[in-house]
Amino acid sequence: MIQNNALTLHVEEITKDFVGLRALEDVTLSLHRGEILGLIGPNGSGKTTLINVITGFLKPTRGRVRVGDTDITGWPPHRIAHVGLARTFQTIKLFRGLTVLENVEVAAVSAGLSRPQARERALWALERVGATHLATIPAGALPYGEERRIEVARALASRPIFLFLDEPAAGLNEQESDTLLEMLTPLPRETGCGMLIVDHDMRLIMRLCHRLHVLNYGRTICEGTPNEVRHDKEVIAAYLGSGRRMLPC
Amino acid sequence: MHHLKSTSWWPTSLLLSGPLLVLALVVYLFGGEVLQRILIVLFINLTMVLGLQIFMGNSGVVSFAQIGFMGIGAYSSALFSMSPQAKAMALRNLYSFLVPVQVPFVVAVIIGGIMAALVAALVGYPLMRLSGAAAVIATFALLIIVHTVLINWSEVTNGPRTLFGLEAYTTLWVSVASGILFLILALWFKETRLGLQLRASREDEAAAASIGINIVWVRWIAFVLAAFVTGVAGALWAHFITSFSPLAFYLPQTFLIISMAIIGGSASVSGAVVGAVAVTAIFEGVRGIENAINISTVFPFTVSGLTEVCLSIAMILILILRPSGILGSRELPT
Repeated sequence: MIQNNALTLHVEEITKDFVGLRALEDVTLSLHRGEILGLIGPNGSGKTTLINVITGFLKPTRGRVRVGDTDITGWPPHRIAHVGLARTFQTIKLFRGLTVLENVEVAAVSAGLSRPQARERALWALERVGATHLATIPAGALPYGEERRIEVARALASRPIFLFLDEPAAGLNEQESDTLLEMLTPLPRETGCGMLIVDHDMRLIMRLCHRLHVLNYGRTICEGTPNEVRHDKEVIAAYLGSGRRMLPC
Repeated sequence: MHHLKSTSWWPTSLLLSGPLLVLALVVYLFGGEVLQRILIVLFINLTMVLGLQIFMGNSGVVSFAQIGFMGIGAYSSALFSMSPQAKAMALRNLYSFLVPVQVPFVVAVIIGGIMAALVAALVGYPLMRLSGAAAVIATFALLIIVHTVLINWSEVTNGPRTLFGLEAYTTLWVSVASGILFLILALWFKETRLGLQLRASREDEAAAASIGINIVWVRWIAFVLAAFVTGVAGALWAHFITSFSPLAFYLPQTFLIISMAIIGGSASVSGAVVGAVAVTAIFEGVRGIENAINISTVFPFTVSGLTEVCLSIAMILILILRPSGILGSRELPT
């Protein structure tokens, strides 16, 4: 794993074409370690596609993805994971036949730890997301809200330098979303990772993120602090139609 | 630190091997020769199901190729264990450099395992990119290819004819040792880092890749290890039955082993043990009944195929009532 705190993830002019559809067009962004970047936009604007391109699940049609000086464009997902990129999935993908602890442990093992070390790391990650009490339960038996937390713990257990969260608040109520906010806010500072989060929960996004990047129809329409983005005319138009003046918060 | 019961392989090892050892001891002391032979078959079958479990149980990818590896293990061990005189009788066209070669039985068995593993290693890597129906078809094709080679490579196999003249080295305790040894190996493997990664990839390939698991690689290792175990089982079987033809390593044996895995529950080692015992018991029991019926001439015709019918019914019932097998993914004693 690359252990350089000065590293930055660069996404450079990424274009992704599907048959008859341009999902992303010339998207450029960078993610620094220790920061939380929000990637927002209406449904179908290309947010998940961008995460899939960065983490190797899709190959871009054009453009590069770099971690520091290492060009990881087109690498298979498991190699990209070894560079220190971890992710969660919009549709939850847990190892349902394994216990919660094993789910998290296997990520630590795959990052190169021995089984005893991985056990310790997994318990740390579970504690971090407040799920230690679930350790021995089979992941297939978890209630929905808990599944998201286990996915975050699994991603954390590999000690990523960049963490990608795809709609971690989907389906959570306001109270659960607040708990998620409390859990995520200190992570970049404590672990030194850079975090990119996609979500439609604007209450969460506006309070959590240091910077926002807004996509619409696969193109960047705005970048800036939450406050700047909230007042941007194009963003308001994309989200609400041109009649409204401000994003809800 | 919270106290958590560590997932350990040895309590299950003891719990599963204990009753098997007692059974072997009772049959050894009080059972007749027929019962002893049935038990040897049981332990060889157990070794084979464990080979299947190591790959299929942990990876979730079905392999129909295992019995091909059994055949490779059987023939290659025979070539190394038979005396030059026996070879001169049974294998007239054997390559001359192989005729004088003779090694101790245990070495020949290990060679059988290694040959099977080598073949698996060579053909396995591209196969491991497949899963689901594609893997079933490809491994089935591999079984057919191995079978065709065994039938036609008459220099080393005597072609489709029976190869005879092996010594009956596989005693009850040899088969017991193999069954217990690989039982422990399978339980240990499951809890290794690789075993854990393999089980994760069985549950979700995309998530497994996202945490850095090279799925093709971990499957390949398990495939090669499983072929070794199955090759050893084939070598032991060859030196139990002492004469056989390539037909022994084809569809009936394949379905027997797969039915054991399915009936017991392939996701756990305990399931493999339960399946091997249950299916061997059904198989031998029904065969006994069939023989009794035929000897007593109750019917004016010969009854045959009863064992296959009963096994098929058992398998269908299990697939309907408990699709993941008697034990599913549970390990005893949980």
